[in-house]
Amino acid sequence: MQVVILAAVLIVGGYAIGTTLFAERGSGFLKPGERPPEFSLANMEGGVTSLSDYAGKPVVINFWGTFCEPCVKEMPEFERQYKKWQDKDLTILAINLSEDTLTVKNFLNRFNLSYPILRDEARKTERNFALRQYPTTFFVKADGTLMEAVVGGMTEEDIDKRIVRLLQL
Amino acid sequence: MLVPENTKCECGHHNSVGTVLCEYCGKPLHQDLQKSDEPLEMRYDGVARRSQKSNPSYIDRVWNFFSSVKIAIYLIVITFLTAMLGTIYPQESSFINNFDPSTYYRETYGTMGHLYYVLGLSHTYESWWFIGLLVMIGTSLVICSLDRVLPLYRALNKQQIRKHHQFLLRQKAVYKGTLNQDAAEWVSQYGDALKKKGYRIHREESGTALLAEKNRFSRWGPYINHIGLILFLLAIVARAIPGWQMDAYITIPDGDTVQIKDTNYYVKNEKFNVEFYADDELPEQLQGKARAKKYLTEAVMYKCVSDCGNPLKEPVLEEVKRHDIIVNSPLSHDGIKLFQFDFNLNPRLNAVNPVLEDKTTGEIYGPFYLPMKDAELHYELGPFTLDLYANYMEFALGSDGKPTTLSRDPNAPAFVFTVKGPGLHPDGEPYIYFPMQKDKVRFAQDTINRDLAERIEIRVDGMENVDFSEATTVLNVRVDRAVPYLWVGAVFSMLGLIMGSYWQHRRIWLRVDGAEVVLGAHTNKNWFGMRSDVAFGLKKTGIEVDPKSLDNGGKNA
Repeated sequence: MQVVILAAVLIVGGYAIGTTLFAERGSGFLKPGERPPEFSLANMEGGVTSLSDYAGKPVVINFWGTFCEPCVKEMPEFERQYKKWQDKDLTILAINLSEDTLTVKNFLNRFNLSYPILRDEARKTERNFALRQYPTTFFVKADGTLMEAVVGGMTEEDIDKRIVRLLQL
Repeated sequence: MLVPENTKCECGHHNSVGTVLCEYCGKPLHQDLQKSDEPLEMRYDGVARRSQKSNPSYIDRVWNFFSSVKIAIYLIVITFLTAMLGTIYPQESSFINNFDPSTYYRETYGTMGHLYYVLGLSHTYESWWFIGLLVMIGTSLVICSLDRVLPLYRALNKQQIRKHHQFLLRQKAVYKGTLNQDAAEWVSQYGDALKKKGYRIHREESGTALLAEKNRFSRWGPYINHIGLILFLLAIVARAIPGWQMDAYITIPDGDTVQIKDTNYYVKNEKFNVEFYADDELPEQLQGKARAKKYLTEAVMYKCVSDCGNPLKEPVLEEVKRHDIIVNSPLSHDGIKLFQFDFNLNPRLNAVNPVLEDKTTGEIYGPFYLPMKDAELHYELGPFTLDLYANYMEFALGSDGKPTTLSRDPNAPAFVFTVKGPGLHPDGEPYIYFPMQKDKVRFAQDTINRDLAERIEIRVDGMENVDFSEATTVLNVRVDRAVPYLWVGAVFSMLGLIMGSYWQHRRIWLRVDGAEVVLGAHTNKNWFGMRSDVAFGLKKTGIEVDPKSLDNGGKNA
């Protein structure tokens, strides 16, 4: 009976302590080494794109809006980086900050962007990522954990440096 | 610790290791205890605890660690002290939005605050070591109880009636005297007297020894209390199960429907109402200030029945509950409670129903429905067609001189249509429309539209054609599926406390050898009552004693 009780204690206690250790701090901003929350969002081709579609590949997740000037400035830079590193299996997912279809389409007509543009809806994904400012970019390693999160606009050099690190990791 | 040299009692009974008083006759087993004449320690009736073994294995050692009441007390004290640390600064979980703990504590409370955060005390109650302490207390509760209750149960279940003289004379209530009548008859009379006091009487076959006992059930009180505490702790631990606990906030403008995160439920705020106190209802120092008298959210809860979580389709919702939420009257459904938490009264434009006027003929077409977000792209109004080709939520001119939007909220909305119709260019002419009068003036709508402004006008006639949210409500979403189990635990715990507190286990042993009566009595508290019971029985059989004279010393409150 001792063994049964001690085993039960180990299971219940282990579960309780384990969940605190591996708990995703729901409200907190993603820290390096943590896994970004999964999302499934509409893309511009009428399909659905999920983060898990890119499991095992390095992914850059960029949140942007047409109302955010530094975001807009970054878009062509990301495009050039995307082209540059495409053969290295780099993915860039640009998530729009819950704007309406016409706004996003008009914006995209001005730029010739080839990387996937995703549509957040009612700010759900941005809330899951605990976003506070725009733009915010998450560099996710091939193993699915965060390498770095950058809040604010970046120069092309900033982006390039990080992608080089991301691909080497 | 007393180590027994021999576990066999002189009465011939073999006791297990760790036994203090012989399980059969009650005689102290240890030499030094036999020599003393102090009242006996009657805890657990002197039986060995389960964990007292001569050759403990590794598992026994773990068991023994947790079976110690001393360890249990240390654990409880450590838990209390560390729980106190969690109250120095606000916990992370008490903040709602846009809260970055890594900077908040340093900025608000300085270096001490930063230290507090770095040490992880800003989430004390969710930390692994705090939960670990609770788990250890739970383990200790289970093991301490089992270790004692099982031997105690066995000891009380097979009690020997005739006890050793040393056992009887070293109780805290003792009587010794000589009889001048038949022993068996006197014992029987004494037993009958105690029966009236609610005792259960066990007499030896010879009729010259007796055990009277009442309220044994009160001995199980502490263990039932412990079962309650264990249930309580398990319920707390169970909160870690996904979906068992939630404490979130949702912000819903009038008319909007918002999903409750991680659930299949949606909430609509049909209308938020706020009433303020009039000045004559307020004390002087508060007059002239807006003091809310009543917040009320007309809320409807929906369940998603299909296309849930499909980003390409609108979810299909089914109404499940409707409730006017006011403070302390939440909407409650399926364990989810929505409490009124906050509000703001910033209006938000949702849609307009403008008309198109042909200024050359004075003819009016429309109205047509124009929501601020995801509006239709094509409108046909009499001979005119409108094609929406751009919209801006907060219109402005960007650094490149081109129109842009400063935000995604409809603070200064603008719509650009291509208008086709009689007298207009066959490819259409652009027309910019500002639904808000202030923007129309500020951005000079008519100047931008130039000639077209002379030909047509898009405008809203009357406030009834404007749809806006007057207010936004903030609701607190709470789920705590552990609560019913906490209640069950609390009821068990209370039941155990009552059992152990308001009843006392009383026992009276007596034996007559020749004409000599020796009587000992034991209880766990209220010795005054114990002694009066003994004296009551003696009086009924013709022996007058002062209850106080039965006191044999020792601590016997």
